[in-house]
Amino acid sequence: MAVPLLIGSVAIGASAAILAWRARPNPGATPLVWLLIGQSWWSTCIVFSLSAGTAAEAVFWTKAGWIGVMTVPVAWILFSLEYTGRDGYLTRRNVALLAVLPALTVVLAVTEEYHGLLYIREAGVTARGSVLVDQGGIWYTVAAGYTYLLGVLGIVPILGLLSSGATAFRGQSAALILGVTTPWATNVLYNMGAFPNVGIDPTPIAFAISGVAYLGAIDRFRMFGANPAPAWRAKQFLFDHIHEGFIVVDGHDTIVEMNRAAAETLGVDVDRALGSPGSDVLPLSEPFRTDGERELLTVGTGSASRSYDVGVSELTDRRGETLGYVFTLHDVTRYLQQQQRLKVLNRVLRHNIRTETNIIQGYAERTSGETAETITQRTARIVEISEKGRDAIDLFEDTVNDRAGTSLAGLLERSLADARDAFPAVEFEFQRPDEDAVVSEGLSVVVDNLVENAALHNDGEDQRVTVAADVDDDRVRIRIVDNGPGIDDYELDVLNSGTETPLRHASGLGLWLVKWGTEVIDGSVTFEDNDPTGTVVTATVPLRRRGGLPHHNA
Amino acid sequence: MASKTNEPPVSTDAAVPWHADVPESVVDVGYRVRDVLTYSSTYLVFIAMIEVLTVHLVLSLPLNPAPIVVGLVTFAVYAGDRIADAADDEMSSPERSAFVTRHRTLLSVLTAITYGLAVALALTGGPIALAITLLPGGFWILYASDWLPSLGSHFKRLKRVLIVNSTIVASAWAIAVVGLPIAFAEASVTPLAAVVFVYFLVDTFVNTEIPNVRDVEADAAVGVSTLPVAFGIRRTRRILYGLDLALVAFVVIAFSVGILTAAAAAAILVGLGYALVLAWFVGRNAAPGRLAIAGEAKHLVVFALLLVFTTGI
Repeated sequence: MAVPLLIGSVAIGASAAILAWRARPNPGATPLVWLLIGQSWWSTCIVFSLSAGTAAEAVFWTKAGWIGVMTVPVAWILFSLEYTGRDGYLTRRNVALLAVLPALTVVLAVTEEYHGLLYIREAGVTARGSVLVDQGGIWYTVAAGYTYLLGVLGIVPILGLLSSGATAFRGQSAALILGVTTPWATNVLYNMGAFPNVGIDPTPIAFAISGVAYLGAIDRFRMFGANPAPAWRAKQFLFDHIHEGFIVVDGHDTIVEMNRAAAETLGVDVDRALGSPGSDVLPLSEPFRTDGERELLTVGTGSASRSYDVGVSELTDRRGETLGYVFTLHDVTRYLQQQQRLKVLNRVLRHNIRTETNIIQGYAERTSGETAETITQRTARIVEISEKGRDAIDLFEDTVNDRAGTSLAGLLERSLADARDAFPAVEFEFQRPDEDAVVSEGLSVVVDNLVENAALHNDGEDQRVTVAADVDDDRVRIRIVDNGPGIDDYELDVLNSGTETPLRHASGLGLWLVKWGTEVIDGSVTFEDNDPTGTVVTATVPLRRRGGLPHHNA
Repeated sequence: MASKTNEPPVSTDAAVPWHADVPESVVDVGYRVRDVLTYSSTYLVFIAMIEVLTVHLVLSLPLNPAPIVVGLVTFAVYAGDRIADAADDEMSSPERSAFVTRHRTLLSVLTAITYGLAVALALTGGPIALAITLLPGGFWILYASDWLPSLGSHFKRLKRVLIVNSTIVASAWAIAVVGLPIAFAEASVTPLAAVVFVYFLVDTFVNTEIPNVRDVEADAAVGVSTLPVAFGIRRTRRILYGLDLALVAFVVIAFSVGILTAAAAAAILVGLGYALVLAWFVGRNAAPGRLAIAGEAKHLVVFALLLVFTTGI
């Protein structure tokens, strides 16, 4: 019965080897070919040993079989590393080191009659005339131990794929683990004396199962059509090459990992920085916090200085215990320089506009009549536009610097109070939220402009603006409803397109401020028609936390 | 056996076809069967098995698994070659290339399984049978696969090297066809076996070069150096005449010194006469694919004659 099973295992192994050969140069294909050749050769030698006419011939084929025996574990570990993308370990030196003990074992098997470290001898003849061969010795134990060790080491990276989200990878890894554990388990049981009456090492017979498993992995689960190798490499690649700096410290503030970008930013050598205290390498002005707050780190002086937004994330184990922290360094130098330029530009423009408009208004006041009044109104409008520009700058600055946030109810009340002063003819209604909440200060620009827009263009006899707010688990929704003429579709189209051209633009800055304001605080805004006239604007923004501020001056 | 597929070219003849009265579905099935047999080189399996049976008859060997093993290996190697050359064959054999590309996965699995079965069967014949069974696969790796060039720029696919390419093909098959039945029978290598080996070696070489005439432009385009590419069609025809005539002389000598029996010599000489006639058509025939198939079918003629001469069937 053993011979037909062994022949079957050779048929399956050879078929799988050919398929694997054709799959070259996919990761893992070449080592898998060697693994399958090794196990097929092992089975072949057992077949020839069992069919041998003399004891010497049987011993010869058993010795020859050791080439296959020792090829399998080395090929398996090479396959495992290459298939899972860890081929960086497969240097010539490492492969040669892995092959030293197997090569020595083959030499000892061939020369066994001279030393006895590994003996291979005739152990009798079966009823069918097959010569039985007994093997053992100290080196046999060493070789078996080495084989088991490489077997386990090879399984480890593949085990990780069992929990992969991709069905193909789960199937491939399950088939591979079945393929390698079946003969290994058989061999362990045989060496423990579990098969006393078999007469031969039944491991090669189990190769029939592993061959089917490998065939299944190749054909059914497209082992060389969907390969996980890039995934592992990609993580390392991203870590090494991403523009953001990454520093990983353990729970004792010791740096355990750092990417190139972080090393370049901080002007340190990666190898030297590893093992150093994180606080020495990363000069933060205050103890770091992991609550999502960020700190600005400036490196260098003068015009060569660069600014980094530093974020901290906590790494925890499965029980939630802190393992360490990941610091991210995001270069915001250009952003800050741009902001600085905008501020200077805005200040200069605003100052000059105000000065020039004051002069124009002075001249206008020297005359009288409708023309003078128009000039005064228009110059006031110019000043107003320049104030909007300032609001735009303040909006981004407030959002960046706003760590505490502000009370939603207080923010809405302030905005309505200002609007009531500016538009006394308009009836304002405020529907307070059921509970207060803390929101970004940047929301004030959004609300101010929406309320102003609702009141300013409302030119009917019964002018009403309603502001309502409600708070849910993580968002705040503010609705501003008016009964005015409504916002022109053209204005909304320009706003939605996100850009303007000289021929296609909105009439002012107000709606842009609303759009930018909601975007900069991760919110959104929608515009709907009110019935019978007017507009319903809904701004939805993130909630910092429920309840009001404990020490807020709103 | 030859290394190229020999499917007939597409007919553009507007005349009423011979099968006009046959139901369309039957004709369709017939064409499909023909396509599968020719494009996958399955017909070569039968030819190869007949060649091994011819060796059995000439060497008076008992019937053994050798014909099945050679048949399985033939399918695995030739269909595998079709898969590897599908892209190169687009110019010379677009229909075959399309067929192989469409059924690539199935053919790939089938060829792997058939070679695996052949290797397993060969184990029952002992180490020499196994080695001979592995030989065509090993030669194919040297001959056609990209493995050899991958070792370095100075190693190019042997398929591209003049004479070496056809000699490797002929050697692998001659050794398998003659050696495998001997190995399975555990018979010794006799002078008669050597004569039969030389016959199959030269004959397979000739049959390998015949389809190269049709593929001369495509081979030249992809850098494969064959006799027609290197010497032109007319000189290739003369070389093939020369090889066939040399083989005739060799067979006559083998018969005259008593190595070959009269029956075997007569059958082989008739086959060689048939080969010489085919050589005349080389480069003159409008359907070179059919010419190559006719070249392979010569083994059926030799086998049939041997059966008649030796058994009186």
